[in-house]
Amino acid sequence: MTAGIDVAAAALAPAQAGILPEGLNVSFKLLPAILVSGMLAIFLAIGYVFKVADTEGMWVAGRSIGNVENGMAIGANWMSAASYLGMAALIATSGFYGLSFVVGWSTGYFILLIFMAAQMRRFGKYTAPDFVGDRFNSDTARAIGAVTTFLIGFVYAIGQARGMGLVGLYIFGDLGLLGLSGYQSMVVAMMAITVGYLTLSGMLGATKNMAVQYVILIVAFLAGLYVVGFTNGYSTVLPHIEYGALFSELGREFSEPFVNQGYYLWIATAFSLVVGTCGLPHVLVRFYTVENERTARWSTVWGLGFICLLYLSAPAFAAFGTDLYANQIGPVYQTAESAGMTTAAGDVIVVLAAQLSNLPTWFVGFVAAGGIAAAIATTAGLFITGSSAISHDIYKNLINEDATQRQQVFVGRLSIVALGVITTLAALDPAAPIAALVSYAFSLAGAVLFPMFFLGLWWENTNRQGALAGMTTGLVIWTIPMINEVVPAYGILAEAAGSDEVLSATLAQWVPAIGSALIAVPLVFVVTIAVSLATPEPPKETKQMVRQCHSPEPMGQQQTAEDAVTGDDGPAPADD
Amino acid sequence: MTDNDTHDSTDEPTAAADGGVASAGQAHAETDYLGSEVNLLKPSTPFMRDHLRIIWTGFAVWAVVVFAPVTATVLAPGAMTTTMPVIGFPLHYFLVAIGAPGGALILAFWYARKRDELDEKYGIEHGGDGA
Repeated sequence: MTAGIDVAAAALAPAQAGILPEGLNVSFKLLPAILVSGMLAIFLAIGYVFKVADTEGMWVAGRSIGNVENGMAIGANWMSAASYLGMAALIATSGFYGLSFVVGWSTGYFILLIFMAAQMRRFGKYTAPDFVGDRFNSDTARAIGAVTTFLIGFVYAIGQARGMGLVGLYIFGDLGLLGLSGYQSMVVAMMAITVGYLTLSGMLGATKNMAVQYVILIVAFLAGLYVVGFTNGYSTVLPHIEYGALFSELGREFSEPFVNQGYYLWIATAFSLVVGTCGLPHVLVRFYTVENERTARWSTVWGLGFICLLYLSAPAFAAFGTDLYANQIGPVYQTAESAGMTTAAGDVIVVLAAQLSNLPTWFVGFVAAGGIAAAIATTAGLFITGSSAISHDIYKNLINEDATQRQQVFVGRLSIVALGVITTLAALDPAAPIAALVSYAFSLAGAVLFPMFFLGLWWENTNRQGALAGMTTGLVIWTIPMINEVVPAYGILAEAAGSDEVLSATLAQWVPAIGSALIAVPLVFVVTIAVSLATPEPPKETKQMVRQCHSPEPMGQQQTAEDAVTGDDGPAPADD
Repeated sequence: MTDNDTHDSTDEPTAAADGGVASAGQAHAETDYLGSEVNLLKPSTPFMRDHLRIIWTGFAVWAVVVFAPVTATVLAPGAMTTTMPVIGFPLHYFLVAIGAPGGALILAFWYARKRDELDEKYGIEHGGDGA
């Protein structure tokens, strides 16, 4: 039994020196290229129009965002290439196992809602390093939080780069840069565009208007689904249910449980994605701009609704794509004569489905452009979060406390370039499909940050020592399977790895990199609680901050839990 | 395992002895939230008790919605993979692909409503937008 799709993908990797999705029409297409540029230009223009002058402006004006708009922002923030391309890909290639991604990435929001959303809003700190540093009164905890945030940004972005590279092939063709393969040239080009987009949006002071971004992405995805379903006679008004009629025609691997992966991996993956959802720094930030804790709750409900729109559509899209592939290209699943659909073709199944339906180029390009826009926008956000963790939490707080604004900005830019370079390098020969790459980031967020957020908010006696011990444990448990399964795929330690490209098959089976949080979370909880019990309790002020997060008493709009405890009402008067 | 003798001694719950309080609103007025311990497993205020009851109920239903269908599919593959009438889905596929995300959405709505009712019960009003 193999231990993860990443393993299967890694086994394929050496054969496909240039990753190429079979069946995809690779050539430069003018209209789609204009559409991609157009979408990015719209994001920038809207951001510019709604731009906020300074942080102070964002603090004041930003805090008035309502339920629906913030819900859309949650949706846009969430939808990266992993949702847009990767999820349908795994459903197509791994069948029932792919559904663990649908489940993990959507139902996690309920856990976020009942345990954390409103409490986080009341705590009033919105970056992971800030929360961890202030809650546990520790600069070391802040530093670990910052390093974790940076790592999450990096790992998450590898998947995005893979998505951009693959879909970019349809739109821009094989660029043939410097002896790189078509896919690799595209990764380099797309990452350059992303860093350019980032610089532009920074220069324009554009905080992305995520509500509009959500609308554009969901329209591109749903239009693709409806048109593909209609033109092929699969569906009419509700493809989300109508694809049920296809099950008898699709291979048994599409729906039969546990033929591709076992029960344990299914549960490990879903669990990891759920806790990862609750631990991701860029999800947390979404509660920064809402009016009050009630808005935080309701916008989470709306956000989940907007996310479900895409998540209920992805399996239908995968079913249509799989059927079209089987009819026009070849067997989807491995047979004696054929290797079946490659993970590269899987990762573009959404675009491939539109192309195989003989739809006009501009329309296929529209669907593809949505995927690229999702990837670029998410990567830009991840890089900003990652670089601010370095420039603000590590450089300013730990290395050079007297850093000037200019020095900070310089360090921030440097970290963005560093992130761009290492992401590009890691994505040239990626170890796994998009969704698997992104889930490594979820495992990390789930293993290190989720337990800190959860215990930090729900048990006031969690203290600095407990947090440090817990976060270290989480980082170690996350790193071990990454070295075991993912690092050998990059040629490091490859000679130590077996024919299945993992160092230990048993370890890969029970602590898979894709779902390592299933093992990590309980252990981190035990370590954090045990160490907290064995060491002195946190100071009274810290406990009161936690209590303030749970009090039903309304707080001033710009008040943090810390203000409330120290008797500071914040810039706006509190209610009583 | 180290003994836990430094704990839970300084901050006794203050609202524990509220015996026959007339209304939730009055209990709320009398509660010192900043003086009451926060412990997921040991709610120390009437509000926290009520809130956690909702949270745990939701969590239990969520766990069933998310993990029961896939577990049932391991235990009884035959029954779970039967084709559903009309829509043609195998049962397990439907429950996981549509049941779980849809269920989480309904639960989320339920929780947000319940939590609003709790505010009402304790006479708490949030400023700002109404919806």
